[in-house]
Amino acid sequence: MSSTWMTTRAWLLMLPLLVVMVAVIGWPLVDTVGLSFTDAKLVGTGGNYVGFDNYANMLSSSNFSRTLVTTTLFAVISVAAEMVIGVLAALLLNQQFHGRAVLRALMILPWALPTVVNATLWRLIYNPEYGALNAALTQLNLIDAYRSWLGEPGTALTALIVADCWKNFPLVALIALAALQAVPRDITAASLVDGAGPFNRFRFVILPYLAGPLMVALVLRTIEAFKVFDIIWVMTRGGPANSTRTLSILVYQEAFSFQRAGSGASLALIVTLLVTVLAVAYAALVKKTAGSAV
Amino acid sequence: MSALEIRNVRKNYGSVETLKGIDIALQSGEFLVLLGSSGCGKSTLLNIIAGLAEATSGDVLIGGRSILGVHPKNRDIAMVFQSYALYPNLTVRRNIGFGLEMRGVAADEREKAVAEAARLLQIEALLDRKPSQLSGGQRQRVAIGRALVRKPQVFLFDEPLSNLDAKLRLEMRTELKRLHQMLQTTVVYVTHDQIEAMTLASRIAVMRDGRIEQLGTPEEIYNEPATLYVAGFVGAPSMNMLQATVQGTMLAIDGAKASLPLPAHFRDMVLDGARVVVGIRPEALRVAADATAPSLPVEIEVVELTGPELVTTARIGTQRLTACLPPASRVAKGQAASFAFSENALRLFDPDTGKAL
Repeated sequence: MSSTWMTTRAWLLMLPLLVVMVAVIGWPLVDTVGLSFTDAKLVGTGGNYVGFDNYANMLSSSNFSRTLVTTTLFAVISVAAEMVIGVLAALLLNQQFHGRAVLRALMILPWALPTVVNATLWRLIYNPEYGALNAALTQLNLIDAYRSWLGEPGTALTALIVADCWKNFPLVALIALAALQAVPRDITAASLVDGAGPFNRFRFVILPYLAGPLMVALVLRTIEAFKVFDIIWVMTRGGPANSTRTLSILVYQEAFSFQRAGSGASLALIVTLLVTVLAVAYAALVKKTAGSAV
Repeated sequence: MSALEIRNVRKNYGSVETLKGIDIALQSGEFLVLLGSSGCGKSTLLNIIAGLAEATSGDVLIGGRSILGVHPKNRDIAMVFQSYALYPNLTVRRNIGFGLEMRGVAADEREKAVAEAARLLQIEALLDRKPSQLSGGQRQRVAIGRALVRKPQVFLFDEPLSNLDAKLRLEMRTELKRLHQMLQTTVVYVTHDQIEAMTLASRIAVMRDGRIEQLGTPEEIYNEPATLYVAGFVGAPSMNMLQATVQGTMLAIDGAKASLPLPAHFRDMVLDGARVVVGIRPEALRVAADATAPSLPVEIEVVELTGPELVTTARIGTQRLTACLPPASRVAKGQAASFAFSENALRLFDPDTGKAL
């Protein structure tokens, strides 16, 4: 069979998928680019061409810069915490003990739950009147009175980060656990004979095997955290006083709440560009890590 | 005082008894090879000495001191693994010096020790490379260097040559022998390769089902196998085992019209009519040129030239026999011949207990 026919056949087989992808991703993307150069409203006419005005306005607005800071804070802190907690959980679950299989299965639960369920659950925990967190903290005498964790600008973002960590650390833990099981037994044994303590064993023996898979988890989670929407929408809707408003919430507000489709489109494309830059940078990092490790 | 003493060591995994009471004492500078097939317990025993597994009962002493319950790093041992077990992200230099680094040895002292080990193993040019940039043989040299540099009382080797190709295995075997002759260190070496065991060991412990089947020098193991298992396991091709029956002063080969004189030193050990297994090494057989030596009439079945010898498989009645003959021997398929051997080369085993008579 000639290679030309093989190539043609491969393209033919992929064609249906390509058509669907162009229809559901390509066309809306092109349409969004077009829309971002207009002052179109959500309803009504197509709007007038305004050039790069939408981009210029958005990038110079204090709303955008403040939201970018909030999004970055949310992404960096929650992903960092998820990585640390995930690796610690994986190290624990990699030990031999009774009930390990049950604990492993239980750990997946938060990640397996739909985000809306997770968010609702945490809203109940944070509830200012009957929430479990308030009850626990007052009974432990750590706070004097019940507080509105999601209602105060000072605590809302932290409360969201905790909820997001709870949901997503199992993914990191699962990836890390799989990587830990790939660490050759002989290398661990050699490090024991060589006299490496737990810290040095982690640093010199385990970490090189974890680095590649963890980098993949880091890429996935950072991109997801950067475009986070659902958990915040259910728990705070970006409030109070926009203290938990992330870029995706801002896009939604701009396009749907304020019905400024053109401006919303430009913001959506800015977010897409930021996430693409992140993805490309991380992909390069992953390639480098995979090349240097093990 | 023994450099290493293993006293009645037993190991159970649940209801499975992996080691069933092992006793060995090793003098300083001895090279002990634990030889056996997979699952015989040899690696478990090595891991117990290293502290990577715990004995269910018994004791292990190094330099007269019991080391059970002592952390592997404090046992004064170094270990070389089958998979090399090098740290992939560290250079060869740091891999070799890792044990010293973890023990807080000063950098200049460490560097000197690493350089000395690298010189001994001829890997000075590789010190700044990572393990992934090395060949299998080079990796194993680094792994040996990592053990050497620590200057421990006992070296433990867990099938260190199994991952190498045949040619490299031969080279490394000679290299290990050279190192041992030079350094005169105490070594416990696990392998399933009987040639490795024969060439390297000062003593071999042949293990089977968690027990030591025979402990002795390579010569003893080869020439005086204590059991049918040892006789069959050591030697390639393995020892010929012919079923026979004692008939007065003769041994009648079962299923064949052939008999051999029963050597005088066996006559008090067997009763007339007793069934025995006659063991003869293939190397002890030659094509009979005269009628003075005992011989067996055979029909040649297969002739294989390996280079240095002609491995000949022949039938004697319903049984088979292998002989390693000189390459120039005139034997051909289907030919009737007579294999002669020295009376001293003959071994007798009890077919029921498997023990040598």
